[in-house]
Amino acid sequence: MKKTVTLPGRILWNAFFWTYDRATWQYDLMVIAILAFVWLTPPDWLGDPTASGPGPLGYLADLLQR
Amino acid sequence: MTVTGLIGTICMFPLRAIIAACVALRIHPNILTFVGVLINVAAAWQLAFGHFISAGVIMIVANIFDFIDGKVARELHAESKFGGFWDSVIDRFSDIALFIGLIYLYSSLRRTDYVMITALAMMFAIMTSYTRARAESLITKCKVGFMERPERIVLFMIGAFTNRMAAVMWVIGVLSIFTVADRILYTYRELKNAQPEPVA
Repeated sequence: MKKTVTLPGRILWNAFFWTYDRATWQYDLMVIAILAFVWLTPPDWLGDPTASGPGPLGYLADLLQR
Repeated sequence: MTVTGLIGTICMFPLRAIIAACVALRIHPNILTFVGVLINVAAAWQLAFGHFISAGVIMIVANIFDFIDGKVARELHAESKFGGFWDSVIDRFSDIALFIGLIYLYSSLRRTDYVMITALAMMFAIMTSYTRARAESLITKCKVGFMERPERIVLFMIGAFTNRMAAVMWVIGVLSIFTVADRILYTYRELKNAQPEPVA
């Protein structure tokens, strides 16, 4: 029987089990995803020992709650 | 051209000048490699005391040395098997030094959770290099997985300059685990697909 893999599943599999070279569009996308996580995740959510504050995502969440 | 490709091309301009200077001065590439690790230890020292910006600046200098040694070796026709071995070994010392700096910082802040996260990130970062080295003694190439040394170094710098080291440790840790798993799986498949070895 042929196994069917959904698109999100295939994207996740390709992201974690990486086979692409540097300087490809897939590499650019991965870099954007990593930078988004690093810069947008509020330090408070991660319990960052050296940084504090809600960060850009936290500010946005606060703004939307108001 | 991709964004990361463009950034790489732009960074190559000043690096070419530094490489040319090292070639003109006939600096041996193994010395460049060794100077790189010494400067990385200084960066680790700065990380250990929470001086992230100075750590980031020192990391840039250290990694210029790390980056140019192979290219200087090629220009000087001084490539050797020992040079490759020396570079790999010294790179591991540089990697570990930076992680130890952070572990010291988090332990001095009494944050055992981040001591563990950083220690795990360090373990899998080292295993990333080991799995590839060991795999390539059995198969021709094992260049799979995202989180290799250049990515780790750039992430360390981003974490230092923007004070987001905790997030960076999570990224390095998680993606290094997948890189190691990827290399184990890839080696298993390659060996399985290879011709069976004759029984001695």
